[in-house]
Amino acid sequence: MPSTLASFEKEHRFEPARFELSRDWVRGYVVAVEDQAIASLGHVAPPMSLAGLSIRALLDRAALPPGSIHVAQELSFQRSVTIGETLTAKARIASRGERQGWVLMGVAMTVEDSDERPVMEGRATITFPLGPEGGLADG
Amino acid sequence: MVKQTARPLIEAGQALPVLIKQVTQEKINRYAVSSGDGNPLHTDSEFAASTRFGGTIAHGMLILAYVSELLTAAFGERWLSSGRLKARFRGPARPGDTVIVSGRVIALDGARVQCEVEARNQAGEVLVSADAETTV
Repeated sequence: MPSTLASFEKEHRFEPARFELSRDWVRGYVVAVEDQAIASLGHVAPPMSLAGLSIRALLDRAALPPGSIHVAQELSFQRSVTIGETLTAKARIASRGERQGWVLMGVAMTVEDSDERPVMEGRATITFPLGPEGGLADG
Repeated sequence: MVKQTARPLIEAGQALPVLIKQVTQEKINRYAVSSGDGNPLHTDSEFAASTRFGGTIAHGMLILAYVSELLTAAFGERWLSSGRLKARFRGPARPGDTVIVSGRVIALDGARVQCEVEARNQAGEVLVSADAETTV
């Protein structure tokens, strides 16, 4: 069971996660989000699937604290990504603040291709209740 | 090979094509599996009932995928290769909701086009508001 995000401080860098953008996973994602526009563009992945994968890679390393809420999301895409490419997701805690019993955390995420060039960069802002010991809330 | 199917939108004020989606618990569960986001707020009705939301809600990234679909429909491959999005999640989408995604071009700056996009529910409540930018 991974630690939760609540236990990490600003500037913590998570271990990069390498993955193949498999046809099966992309198909499952497209079905889940009912994306009817992407099919006309050929064998490319929906850009938001990269964000989804980078968040999934992060959650494999640190679970969301109970009661977490996704407040905001910034994304920029550098190029389209083809199904079958091998990518690496990186994440770090870019900001962390506490106010009135809640933690506001910014997580910077980058997805790079096999040449280590970024194909997507982003920042997720989440908030979660501060627990009695500065970490987990009761949920 | 990526096909270029975008229709350039060059006039400020021009509306983007509207997208309508129905949110169901089944779709939320499917997204939870695909994304690996097993936050019980989305999938566990008993847990979710004890939160301030009073029930399960859709993942914000699911609603954002709808926003991205609208931008893909409007700008094609250009959105995938040069898009930027700054979104705020303003309200929850719940099972049974109809999500209406709409947007419009607000400015042109050389080859860049700026848009504002929002997702609302059937009651007109804003779920997501976003600023989007891409090349045309």
